[in-house]
Amino acid sequence: MNNKLIVSSSPHIRSNETISSVMRDVVIALLPATLAGIYYFRMGAVRVILFAVLAAIITEAGIQKLRKQEVSINDWSAILTGLLLAFNLPASAPWWMPVVGSVFAIAVVKQMFGGLGHNFMNPALAARAMLLASWPVEMTSWINPGSDVVSTATPLVMFGGAEAPSLFTLFIGNHGGCIGETSALALILGGIYLVYRGVITPRVPVIYISTVAVLTFLMGGFDPYFMIYQVLAGGLMIGAIYMATDYVSSPVTPKGQIIFALGCGVITSIIRLYGGYPEGVSYSILLMNVVSPLIDKYTSPRVFGEVK
Amino acid sequence: MNPIKTLTNGLFKENPIFFQLLGMCPTLAVTTSAENGLGMGLASTAVLICSNVVISLLRKVVPSKIRIPIFIVVIATFVTMVGMVMEGFMPALYNSLGLFIPLIVVNCLILARAESYASKNGVFISTIDGIGMGLGFTWALTVLGAIRELFGAGSIFGMSIFGVAYKPALIMILPPGAFLALGILLAINNLLKSRSA
Amino acid sequence: MKEIIKLGLILLLVCVVAAVALAFTNELTKDQIALQRNQANENARRNILPDADSFKALDENKLNEIISENKSVAEVFKGYKGDSIVGYTFKTLPSGYGGTVEVMTGIDLEGKVNGVRIGNHQETPGLGANVALPEFYNQYENKSAESEIEVSKTEPTNDNQIQAISGATITSDAVTAGVNIAIDTFKQITGK
Repeated sequence: MNNKLIVSSSPHIRSNETISSVMRDVVIALLPATLAGIYYFRMGAVRVILFAVLAAIITEAGIQKLRKQEVSINDWSAILTGLLLAFNLPASAPWWMPVVGSVFAIAVVKQMFGGLGHNFMNPALAARAMLLASWPVEMTSWINPGSDVVSTATPLVMFGGAEAPSLFTLFIGNHGGCIGETSALALILGGIYLVYRGVITPRVPVIYISTVAVLTFLMGGFDPYFMIYQVLAGGLMIGAIYMATDYVSSPVTPKGQIIFALGCGVITSIIRLYGGYPEGVSYSILLMNVVSPLIDKYTSPRVFGEVK
Repeated sequence: MNPIKTLTNGLFKENPIFFQLLGMCPTLAVTTSAENGLGMGLASTAVLICSNVVISLLRKVVPSKIRIPIFIVVIATFVTMVGMVMEGFMPALYNSLGLFIPLIVVNCLILARAESYASKNGVFISTIDGIGMGLGFTWALTVLGAIRELFGAGSIFGMSIFGVAYKPALIMILPPGAFLALGILLAINNLLKSRSA
Repeated sequence: MKEIIKLGLILLLVCVVAAVALAFTNELTKDQIALQRNQANENARRNILPDADSFKALDENKLNEIISENKSVAEVFKGYKGDSIVGYTFKTLPSGYGGTVEVMTGIDLEGKVNGVRIGNHQETPGLGANVALPEFYNQYENKSAESEIEVSKTEPTNDNQIQAISGATITSDAVTAGVNIAIDTFKQITGK
């Protein structure tokens, strides 16, 4: 028997999770989507992903050196931000766009506000919004899957038209759009892995997607085809599973997360149905990110013994 | 009061934009190009100098209770005059600054200098203060406008810098770009200040 | 009580002096300002109806009649070369993406659009705002005012189509609507 007793202060419950293990799990979960993106969009996708990830890593290392902090790129968070940003860009984006986006996401959205754990918005989404405002034409030029560069519109824009893809095509992702958002199948697989590994709970994705489904069903004329189309098309899958679940920029409490997911769903539906943009996911998540501290404040549980 | 010191005070040490953070509304809205920034800065400077002079001249006779309405009337009169002159003789600039010319009236810089300096100091030194603060405002606006124009349109004062191949980052000439650019400039300014302190 | 009267009188004095100063400045500048405004308008009209050398506003009653039928019409001018009418210029105000867009259209007596120019607008820089560039508005030149002009997202397939700016369909549609209103008004006036 080992007679040595270890003395330490609380907490005494340990888990094997570290920042890098969580981030790595998300990157692994994104592998099917990465492979799908590369399979559909070939070299364009490879180029965008490579530049985004490299730029993110270099920016983070650079800034941390400037701030005389320990360089922590091995926590995989920069890699994850770069990857998520790449998934939000069209494969035809010129090489400098993922670079500018990554620099903005890491330097401005993440580091300028305090580094990991302090970003008030999802860095990849904020960078995407910045890129969209800066280069609207390049950000809205999509190509069809395959080796020929044939420009196309996204399914959300094509809805009702002759070229609108079938629901099956939407599901497996063989259509135009941003690199990571096309294949619902790949994204859901990754999502299941994340739930299995305990990285996310199904709460936010399920409530977000269900809210969009219910609202598009009710306000789209009770048309189930329209509802499923809306759920599978656009950035809803990737947004709900990977962006809205970002720990830092979304509420902490379960009740808060429900409100967050509901808000995202409502805003996405309103923008898609009544707004001027075909896609509403990124703006809805960003808006809810900004409101998260308020949600946290009002849903924080009473501390045991605290006087109300 | 040393006139040179007063002059450099407005230009650098107590710069209206980078230090006092006054007059943010025209700063953010108008600096979509270096020329607009310069034009707005000079127009505001003209008003600032004139209002400083008049308010300083009147300082002994203005009753304290109604000083604010009197300052505003003086400032508004000069802004209207400057606006009329610009519309008549500088129509291109007048059109691009548009609504923000009348808004010079509520540029807090002008009222602030009236209240805290011109109403308490002699005419000569108030004039110098007006020149210093006004030019400080102007060069800050011009720099901000130049940066936004450079990245948002690839040119400075209309001269293309990056050539045709440059795809301008449109966000820089939109409001978010204004906040981003100003925020970063303020951060750099604070950094330089803390290093030299 | 006495103090309030004194304060009031001082304020009155200040305002009177200010008013005098402004009136003085107004006198000095008003001719120049009027000149600038007229110049700008004349130039704009000449751009869209190059054959004309002078312009007269349409008879006010007629204009009010037109406006009562279509609120987007703002101005109608007759273009003269010497003493004879060579065409009409129209300023219409269709609704764009960010607000109203000022569209100036010049149509000659043969029923051909001579030119289109864009005035004040609040469209997105880099996208909708590009309708103010010659590459876009020159598309309307020499179009026939026989029928309405249409917008195509891709290459125009027939003579009365223009191509929208990629990513700025709403603005392109608005400008075309403005030109079409001018065409309709032209037909109304000339009875064609």
